[in-house]
Amino acid sequence: MKRGLGLPVAAGIVAFGIGGLGLPARAQDAPAGDAANGQRVYLADGCFTCHGRVGQGGNYYGTTPMLAKTELPFEGFKQQLRDPVRVMPAYSEAVLSDKEAADIFAFVKTLPGRRPVKDVPLLNN
Amino acid sequence: MPKRRNSPDVARRNFLKGASLVGAAALTPVAVNAQVAAPRPNLKAAVPGPRQIAAETLPPSKDPVTQTSSGGDFMVDVLKTLDMDYCAINCASSFRGIQEAMINHGNNTKPEILTCTHEEIAVAMAHGYAKMEGKPMAMMCHGVVGLQHAAMALYNAWCDRVPVYVMIGNILEADKRAPGAEWVHSALDPAALVREFLKWDDQPASLQHFAESAVRAYKIATTPPMGPVLLSLDAELQENPIADPEGLRIPRLAKVVPPQADSGAIAELAKMLVAAESPVLVCDRLARTPAGMARLVELAETLQCAVFDNGGRMNFPSRHPLNQSASRAALNQADVILGLETNDIWAAANSFTDRIVRTSRPTTKKGAKIVTLGTRDLYLKSNYQDFARYQELDLAIAGDGEASLPALTEAVKRLIDDGRKSAYQARGKKLAGLRLAALERVRSDATAAWDASPISVPRLCMEVYNQIKDEDWSLVGTSTGNNWPRLLWDFDKAHRWNGGSGGGGIGYTLPASLGAALANKQHGRLTVSIGGDGDFNFAPGTLWTAAHHRIPMLYVVLNNRAYHQEYMYVEAMAGRRSRGVTRADIGTTLKDPNIDYATVARGFGVHGEGPISDPGELAPALKRAIAMVKSGQPALVDVVTEPR
Repeated sequence: MKRGLGLPVAAGIVAFGIGGLGLPARAQDAPAGDAANGQRVYLADGCFTCHGRVGQGGNYYGTTPMLAKTELPFEGFKQQLRDPVRVMPAYSEAVLSDKEAADIFAFVKTLPGRRPVKDVPLLNN
Repeated sequence: MPKRRNSPDVARRNFLKGASLVGAAALTPVAVNAQVAAPRPNLKAAVPGPRQIAAETLPPSKDPVTQTSSGGDFMVDVLKTLDMDYCAINCASSFRGIQEAMINHGNNTKPEILTCTHEEIAVAMAHGYAKMEGKPMAMMCHGVVGLQHAAMALYNAWCDRVPVYVMIGNILEADKRAPGAEWVHSALDPAALVREFLKWDDQPASLQHFAESAVRAYKIATTPPMGPVLLSLDAELQENPIADPEGLRIPRLAKVVPPQADSGAIAELAKMLVAAESPVLVCDRLARTPAGMARLVELAETLQCAVFDNGGRMNFPSRHPLNQSASRAALNQADVILGLETNDIWAAANSFTDRIVRTSRPTTKKGAKIVTLGTRDLYLKSNYQDFARYQELDLAIAGDGEASLPALTEAVKRLIDDGRKSAYQARGKKLAGLRLAALERVRSDATAAWDASPISVPRLCMEVYNQIKDEDWSLVGTSTGNNWPRLLWDFDKAHRWNGGSGGGGIGYTLPASLGAALANKQHGRLTVSIGGDGDFNFAPGTLWTAAHHRIPMLYVVLNNRAYHQEYMYVEAMAGRRSRGVTRADIGTTLKDPNIDYATVARGFGVHGEGPISDPGELAPALKRAIAMVKSGQPALVDVVTEPR
């Protein structure tokens, strides 16, 4: 049998999030990342399990944030990987290099993310 | 213990016993003679008399091969007074006496037997049926080996406060058990295994005892807080002739009227709600009947306050302007929180973080008052910890939530003056705006992977909804973590939804959905369920029952090829230990080989579509499957999806 299933919507269990966390807001130039390798690492290192294969977000302990077209600066992105707030697993440098982090960052920046709801007729039912 | 009758009409087991004695004597003459010949100077046993010699050497007296009455027939007569439509079983010798009586004496109606391939399926079907139909259904299984299979599903029913009427077979008298299976399938107290999650059980010692306990069991099961009950039926009692038919009487059932809360407490609560600036109604297993939703709507609209629906039942319309379930904002800003039939009010008032050091903190506004109204406190047990963390309350009111709502609403109405009315209207308008904004945000989120393959979960859910929205649909199950239907669909009637498993035991969704579909069948509703692949694999034989009994249901397998929640948990552990998460799929995924659920369905005689990975292929497949369902058959669509 499983653990922690069917969590009530009211449960105040917080998802791992990287938006609105008071991370450095200063403009950062991300190191040039290899988006193709970023995609490979994103899928191999399990980012997709919580954030979706195209960065659409998901659900773990509550909603997990969308990463597609992230507006986080790279430093904030990396900080969440290394020393995450809330319940996201930590990715130390031993398991994910700065270069790989930059590649993932480059990949999620390329993802299309949301589109206008009006363009999706089924969502207007 | 049932009294053994000594008439020549007695059960076949005496015959077998006689036969075995003769056989033993015939096979072991040398040993017997050797014992007699051995020197036994202190032997004091009496020499066998003529009767004993005759019993051991002559053929047994003629044993009757037919009987004109049976305890099983009487048991069925009792069950018929309880108006139970179905009895789901996995057949077993220990209840053959009552099974045959149901079929032939009872003509297989009230209850009609449903054949299940596993006892867990039978219980879960009864669980789903009871929530949709509002009355219990019976299930029957072997007392020892069957009940162990049934246990997990019974735990779900217990946690979900759902009446399931369980009957098990047992052979009480040791000297009536045949050698072998009947010994390993008998128990002194078979219900002990599951008693911690039963509301009541009994092992009747006579037919009159059965009659009274059968009626009592129904009454107890259906009295809030509801729960599963169990009767252990002795095989001799079921099978043998009735010794004294004139002495038996079936007592009349008087259902317990669910208790309304104390009027003084209701008045105090009404004052708190009326005076509050931002009251919130939190509900979970509130709506017992179709009236429940209408009553909650009336209270919420009277107060123009936020409603936070945990979804344990179909409590509140999903698109009602006051429905604020999409975010915790209303809860966190509330000055009065009223929990209506909530199992875990602590979770509404606190946050919890699953890190190396697990922490929690209150999330309510300073000075917020928390009140509960429900039957939760009226019946609890100790071992299984489904009562959740202790929450300090300002007022705890015992009473059935649905039954108490009219009095509460009237008390609130009496206290509202014109000044408050206009303030309430402004509050309601603001909440309606927040509700619309939340819906737009959810819709926008749903667009993000709209054309992805594997198919995104919101895309899957909206493709299904698009096919059913103009029908009288009923969604009776969703996979773990899939909240998209409740966020995006228009749940506007009492039968649109019936809650989750209660205990979080996987293997619930498929069979419980079929039970709900059985209830929906007689109302002409289109039953839909979107269940996980992990759940499916616990009880796939449910599909055979669906096909065999012609129970229409669209079952969509949300096939993310994993026990995905567990996958993420293992990743979290690996992250804590700086080991990387690349091996978290070991033991948590269902790939290599991928399971083809459509083929599995076809093997059970159910229409199967898929596996479908291309979102463009989803609508046509759903159309074909729904056509099959509308013709009265079950259908399955296997959809390969994104994780969540």
